[in-house]
Amino acid sequence: MNAIDGTDRHIKSTDGPPPSLLTIILDTNPFAWAHLSSTLPLSSVVANLLVFINAHLASGNANEVAVIASHNKRTAWLYPTPVSAHNTNGHISAQNGAASHTQNANKYQPFAEVETNLLSNLDDLLKTTTPDDLSTTTTQIAGALSTALSYISKSTIRHSPVDPTLLKSHAILIDDGNLTSQRINLVSRILVFSVSGDLASQYIPVMNAIFAAQRQRIPIDILKLAGDTVLLQQACDATGGIYMAPESPQGLLQYLMMAFLPDATARKSLVLPSAGSVDFRAACFCHRNVVDIGFVCSVCLSIFCSPNLQDSTCLTCSSVLSLSSALTAAPALIPRKKKKRKRAPGDGSTPGGSATPLPGNGTPMHT
Amino acid sequence: MSASTSQALDYLEGLTQITHQKLYEQPSTALAVFRCMLPHLAKTIVMAMLYMPRAFTIGDLDHWIRADSKSDKDKAISVLQSLHIISHSQESSKSLSYRLESGFANSLRQALTGGGNHKSFGVPSSAPDKSDVDIAFLDQFARKQWEAILYFMVGSTSGLRDSTGLGETVGNGTRKLLELGDFVTRANHGTITKTGFTFLLQEANAQVWSLLIVYLKQAPELGMNEVDVLSFIFMLGSLSLGQDYSTANLSPTQLQMLEDLNDFGIVYRSSKASSRFYPTRLATTLTSDAGALQTASADFTNALRPSSHAGAGYIIVETNYRIYAYTSSHLQIAVLSLFARLSSRFPNLVSGKLTKDSIQRAIKLGIEARQIIDYLTAHAHPQMQKNNPVLPPTVMDQIRLWEYEGERIEATHGHLMKDFSSEKEYLDVLHYAESLGVLTWKSDQKRVFFVDRIEQISAYLKSKKEKK
Amino acid sequence: MADSDGEYIEASDDEYIGGGGSYGTRGRGKGKKGQRADGRAKNAWELSAKTGLESYRESADGTIGKSIQEREEERKRKRLRKDTKAFQRGIIRHIVLVLDLSEAMLEKDMRPNRYFTMIKYTQEYVREFFEQNPISQMCVMGMHDGICIRVSELSGNPADHISAIQGLRDPKSSTSKEPKGSPSLQNALEVSRATLYHTPSHGTREVIIVLGALLTLDPGDIHKTIKSCVQDRIRVSIIGMGGRMHICTQIVSRTNSGDESGYVVATDQELLRELLLATTTPPVIRSSAPTTDGAAVPAESAASLLQMGFPSRIVEEVPTLCACHGNLTRGGYTCSRCKAKVCSLPATCPGCHLTLILSTHLARSYHHLFPLRNWVEVSWQRAREKGSKQCLSCLSDFPEPPSSHIAHTENGAESSNGAANRTAAVAAASRNTAPKGKQKKDDGSNEDELATASESFRYECRDCKSHFCIDCDVFCHEVLHNCPGCLGGAGPRKEEGNVDTEMSG
Repeated sequence: MNAIDGTDRHIKSTDGPPPSLLTIILDTNPFAWAHLSSTLPLSSVVANLLVFINAHLASGNANEVAVIASHNKRTAWLYPTPVSAHNTNGHISAQNGAASHTQNANKYQPFAEVETNLLSNLDDLLKTTTPDDLSTTTTQIAGALSTALSYISKSTIRHSPVDPTLLKSHAILIDDGNLTSQRINLVSRILVFSVSGDLASQYIPVMNAIFAAQRQRIPIDILKLAGDTVLLQQACDATGGIYMAPESPQGLLQYLMMAFLPDATARKSLVLPSAGSVDFRAACFCHRNVVDIGFVCSVCLSIFCSPNLQDSTCLTCSSVLSLSSALTAAPALIPRKKKKRKRAPGDGSTPGGSATPLPGNGTPMHT
Repeated sequence: MSASTSQALDYLEGLTQITHQKLYEQPSTALAVFRCMLPHLAKTIVMAMLYMPRAFTIGDLDHWIRADSKSDKDKAISVLQSLHIISHSQESSKSLSYRLESGFANSLRQALTGGGNHKSFGVPSSAPDKSDVDIAFLDQFARKQWEAILYFMVGSTSGLRDSTGLGETVGNGTRKLLELGDFVTRANHGTITKTGFTFLLQEANAQVWSLLIVYLKQAPELGMNEVDVLSFIFMLGSLSLGQDYSTANLSPTQLQMLEDLNDFGIVYRSSKASSRFYPTRLATTLTSDAGALQTASADFTNALRPSSHAGAGYIIVETNYRIYAYTSSHLQIAVLSLFARLSSRFPNLVSGKLTKDSIQRAIKLGIEARQIIDYLTAHAHPQMQKNNPVLPPTVMDQIRLWEYEGERIEATHGHLMKDFSSEKEYLDVLHYAESLGVLTWKSDQKRVFFVDRIEQISAYLKSKKEKK
Repeated sequence: MADSDGEYIEASDDEYIGGGGSYGTRGRGKGKKGQRADGRAKNAWELSAKTGLESYRESADGTIGKSIQEREEERKRKRLRKDTKAFQRGIIRHIVLVLDLSEAMLEKDMRPNRYFTMIKYTQEYVREFFEQNPISQMCVMGMHDGICIRVSELSGNPADHISAIQGLRDPKSSTSKEPKGSPSLQNALEVSRATLYHTPSHGTREVIIVLGALLTLDPGDIHKTIKSCVQDRIRVSIIGMGGRMHICTQIVSRTNSGDESGYVVATDQELLRELLLATTTPPVIRSSAPTTDGAAVPAESAASLLQMGFPSRIVEEVPTLCACHGNLTRGGYTCSRCKAKVCSLPATCPGCHLTLILSTHLARSYHHLFPLRNWVEVSWQRAREKGSKQCLSCLSDFPEPPSSHIAHTENGAESSNGAANRTAAVAAASRNTAPKGKQKKDDGSNEDELATASESFRYECRDCKSHFCIDCDVFCHEVLHNCPGCLGGAGPRKEEGNVDTEMSG
């Protein structure tokens, strides 16, 4: 109606939800997939994944997708295709892609583009896997998460409605907090298809990635097809993502469509699967025991299960650690009572310093 | 769902179930309807149901969606029902459940998986084109054609038509269409109407849709098949820019359409006999709310704006009502002159002032204050875009006040609901209307209220009656 | 991992007189060079508009566009330029935050006035501090009308401090304080000293003073207080407003063994916020060394083993009282030793005084211990050698290197060439870095170089030799603390996870 008071001055420029960027990390650890091949072959997962990506792209016109493979010893982009440094196979595969998807009249062209790129890159990755790569059995999840987060942060900058170059002089004047909240209009999330178990060797980088995601408000969703890691569970818990380990992986697509497809906008109005309990206990660095009460090196924060270390040196940073303070004094204390006691015997412990003046207790004032 | 597609949605909702079913036979149409016609939550619901082996019971749905988003859910379900995408079904016992229409579900699944052999996403020409048609050329062509249409409309009022040749190239068919759509009247050598102004101030994307809907409504009279026309439009939206497509797979109706669309600048053909056509940016952005975001990626390119340098805003409005427009386009100057008093013109700049007279003259012509503000906001200079709100509040308020001086009544079409048997029933229906967002006015004392849409309410009343 | 080697370098005072200590600078240049900390404070008024103009030099083709872009990158880099040597840092900190509540805070040079600005920023600061230092303790005090009042007790719970600070300005609250009278630095230091006296030796003892006034009104000899602070190994840093005071320089330099970089002056509110946040980075631990006044002090930090509990989260059917506040809550954490229920972590168990913490809290501090090393600028020549076309992590395109014949000309010719449209200063800097990239100089030797923009808009990680763009450079160093290249196996694959395996847990 004719509202003239400034209440509706904010003209809604966009009615639709903000565009959403879905970054998928596909764990391509050959060992784990070999183990799974009877129940859930990689090929069928990739097929389901493609349908899921298409559904995501269809859900919002400006939606984007990025796919990263976390392989043994390295990570690789599956989509978008990076330009290869020496301009060899990257160029050719791009041409191949262009040739093949223009032929198909049965596919929506953006879908076809993602599909051809993803498949050819995945193919390349599997072909170039050498026996040397297989010497480790873990997957480079930390690298994949780091890459995904960098990509998201760059995309967010790219999407900000205000041109960052115009903004530079003003950025200093405006309160940073307001600024970022106004500028971010790309909603991002990360979905990890995880099949590998033990990730303990990448504890620190993965933790760093989790905290970065938490700060950027990027939820990390985990679809656990095999293996079990507390680390990724903690990632979901800290970033507000969804953790799911399907009981029957055959119905994978339905899980994807129902639980993981809704973006942040839709999630606000949905009841999400709950995470259940998360194990926060720490594993000690010396024996990998899960501990309730541990001993922590004050220098490097390594956790040990017993205070009896060899030569009383920290196994990680080799500082000499004194045990006495750990066992006798509580690390933190309530100073109130002791302070009074200290004040009572006068300034024995504080030579030269006068006791703290109390209000009205001789504090000189200018008159 | 953006403003530009909402009118298309209105039109689609008005179609019959049989038309819908025919439409959904094409995967491209099913996908396009899914992508741009549905509210966000509705998309989520459809996707969840798409691969679900059983029907989705109402109870499950209520559990899945939070209680505080109930109104969103009701809206989503009502759109889905009116588009005949989902239907009620009675499962075994008492439990009521929703089911996706199988035609729609099949087509959407095909679209997502890329299976089947329906060729609904356009058949590219096999042989390369001899003449060199690149994206820049297509953009230029589209802009030229579309601006000619706009200029034809606006030229009469601004009195610039005779001095420049623009607007005279508009074909007879297009002129007739504009008249049919009530955008211009034939009287007095084609004068622009109120709807015409509304049309003019929209974004390019919305303009294309408005014109196409007029075209659709007129289609049966020309002996064209409505479903064919619609699915062709949706197909155009899913084509890629800069690619040439073969006309071999098109129906006669669609071939006939191609000519008209060529006039609008929506597709490009080198000659009428050519066996290939190129969609322009106007076509490829039909099914994306390009206005929502200017992505850097080439796949979802941003909308063509009716400006000389596409995309960038050019208007600066100051708090003292002065207005500066960095443009040399006749069209933009003509549009501005509709509601501003322009005083001086330089090679790349026009300056003027928003005055009471100029605004009220525009309002007399049928332009609403809201439209003027929207237009100024949408085309604000990048420097202005940094402000929040974009336009100076004083200017926005004053424009509204000037409008308010003239008219104190606003008419809304709709239906008055009255004579409820009990307070309880009145409140029940009232709350339902409120949750749908169709309620415009109510009086608790008289137990009457006014809604602008009735279909859902009547269905609701009917279902209530059946329950009894 | 791109971290530096696992060994710690103990920074001794001989090496770092005039600067090595102090906080790892976020928002400031490294103290030793004194680019900003000292330089700014002393010369801010001396700098004229001239310096700003000078740096916009026209390039060969008559545009200044590129030089502006370079300046932009330079600005970004400067901010993130951090000391990435693996110093031993004081992760467990005990901090007294002293706020000036004297009438000088009613000054309106910050909007709406200094007082409200300070309250706003310190609340933000507390949150950020505990984000960065989850196992540290803090106490907030105020200098009000000549005396020092305690705003909040020493504790590790950010919410307590934030609400206490908020209570200062909330007129309805009983603890509300209007700025009044004069501040007394001596009183503040004495109360802080008393508060920190009993904190354990493995943690740091720090006092951070936000001082608006240009005077201190003390009851006794402040120099004696300073001396006792030095003996109690308390470090003081002061953020002043308006101007510098000699006594503040003295306090800071004597408690930081001669390093004055802990005394900074905020000229505007944005700088105040930046300077406050700069202190959230844990300080470098100094090894024992004689202080300036010759008195031997004990080693600042005796490493020790701390006993800590890692409680598990519980959810109860029936609400029960929590041990920390006595509120009825339904969920919480039970102490691993005495099973008392606390509502939030980190906390000290009210029953048995065990430090309770989540393993994730410990992990949050790891990036201070294993910082990501700075990436180096890449010359065109090096860019051509590598043939990098896109940023490794975000896939944004790099500009093409200029045509190859330039590559073989000397560096001197490069700056005069049309393609290398650079300001003289930047060109000089790149001349320095160009050979470095090629020779792969030893780690750490060139950490101290000035942060400049890279002429090829690429930045190279020294470990995996991958190239990144400026935005990823900033993001990886400020937020992520990981190198996507090293973790993604992009580097030369000879040494296997030196730090990874070492810290596996």
